[in-house]
Amino acid sequence: MSSTIQEDHPGVADAAAAREAFAAWVEAAEEGRVFGQVRVKAVEPGIYSLRHVEDAGNSDLRLHEDPREAREISKTTEGGEYRPLKSSPNLRRGWELRVSGAVDLVVAMNYLYPAGVVHWHAHREGRLEVTSYRENAARQSGIYKRVQRLSDEGVQDTARACCEDAVCLKQTLWDVDEETPLVMDRGEGDIPCPEPCSVFVSLARRVRLFEREKKRDLDAIGLSPSEKEDLAALVEAAATGHVDFAREAEFEKPLNERRMRYRRLTLAPKLRPEAQPVSSA
Amino acid sequence: MRALIIVGHGSHLNEDSSLPVYEHAERIRRTGEFDEVVECFWKEEPSMRHALDTVESDEVFVVPAFISEGYFTQQVIPREFGLDGPVTVKGHKTVRYAGPLGTFEGMPDVILERVEDLMRGRETNGRTALVLLGHGTDLNKNSGGVIYLNAARIRERGLYDEVGVGFLDQKPEIGSVVEDADADDVILIPVFIADGWHTRETIPEDLGLTGEVTHLEGKRVFYGAPVGTHPSMANLIVARARETELLPGKETQVV
Ligand code: SF4
Repeated sequence: MSSTIQEDHPGVADAAAAREAFAAWVEAAEEGRVFGQVRVKAVEPGIYSLRHVEDAGNSDLRLHEDPREAREISKTTEGGEYRPLKSSPNLRRGWELRVSGAVDLVVAMNYLYPAGVVHWHAHREGRLEVTSYRENAARQSGIYKRVQRLSDEGVQDTARACCEDAVCLKQTLWDVDEETPLVMDRGEGDIPCPEPCSVFVSLARRVRLFEREKKRDLDAIGLSPSEKEDLAALVEAAATGHVDFAREAEFEKPLNERRMRYRRLTLAPKLRPEAQPVSSA
Repeated sequence: MRALIIVGHGSHLNEDSSLPVYEHAERIRRTGEFDEVVECFWKEEPSMRHALDTVESDEVFVVPAFISEGYFTQQVIPREFGLDGPVTVKGHKTVRYAGPLGTFEGMPDVILERVEDLMRGRETNGRTALVLLGHGTDLNKNSGGVIYLNAARIRERGLYDEVGVGFLDQKPEIGSVVEDADADDVILIPVFIADGWHTRETIPEDLGLTGEVTHLEGKRVFYGAPVGTHPSMANLIVARARETELLPGKETQVV
């Protein structure tokens, strides 16, 4: 490739420009801006207050002044569970971060929504590089190589199960490939998702395993072994009056929310063939 | 401006794997040697794919927080960052890629510091063996090789009557290292990057350890914390980054 460093590089984001643009965007709105589940507001020029959107009017918040404390805030849910995906709508409440200057503002934002600001900026400028599922899968190796064989339908179902706003607040920009757009609600949020993330790839790997059983191991009524395993686990859990869900990215366990969302798309219609497709919201 | 990017494995399930990376990053930040110190991961955010986007510096040092040369350091990290060698020019950024931590010449010193922490206030009696515990795997000779390398380097110093190795996934297996040691006192140090399932459960269970000191088969067994979480690893990360500057810049390719 022949390019020189004087040229414009669409693939390389400009983090400094993003920082200034984000601070200006926040300052331009008196009420502040909502980014993911965070409300960011300039309380005076150059001083920013960050808190959970639902804590907007709350005065009983724990105050933090070190932007790096955002990492602890974003690490676990209200219930103390580890958060593998920061754009999941399970940011905990009860805190306020007060930081001064755009540099510290972006440090905090990068722990709350990693790379969110720079991607937001690149997307606004029309220079965010987007990588399709197929391009991403082609790079995978080792135990993830099998995601290359996931069908287009499998990619679509995985995206609906994994990426919709109910489970991820990013706006899904990528497609199956250049010719095949994702058919789903991509989300309204300001944080763009330019490429399948590692949580997505991990679910895609699981769905590929499901696809393989569909080809060979169906029983007389058309259920696969893992579908039966999930149904049994659900029945057993519900019978105790309390369904204990698996962790957010524990896709090998039956009672995982995204795995169940996938089953809603693929198993529920098999069980109730006459019913209308269930809404996926 | 100069940025240091530390690359960790990370996990979808808990913070065990990323915690030492965050802690070392914070230690390095406090030294002021770099204008930016950024963490990124294979399984956590920010991903390696996006870490470069978040730094403002034009001089970028990428240091893998991995013990051995292998699948991650040779294949996954260069691929995800889009690196084509030790020095890659991307737009306005010059990215220098460092080697893994375990093969570095400073590693034996960190291992010995771990031993010192464990043995503080304790005295050894009779013949003493140091045994380095590693993951090892049949697929990648390097993973075991780095443990042998450090054992050899420590053996040269003549501090112990015996310096041995043991692995989770290859021979000699961890389960037999105490039995095999011809010593009264056996010091076990896990050469792992993070504290986690292997160091907290697999290894103690395989050996029947009950804590830092266990009496087994007539021997006293001392079990230390993993090397990777030692504060001195931060110095090793910085030394690895500095070392990349000695590479010639001319052969760089603009991509
Ligand atoms: S791939 Fe899906 S789940 Fe992952 S960050 Fe993007 S939108 Fe969210």
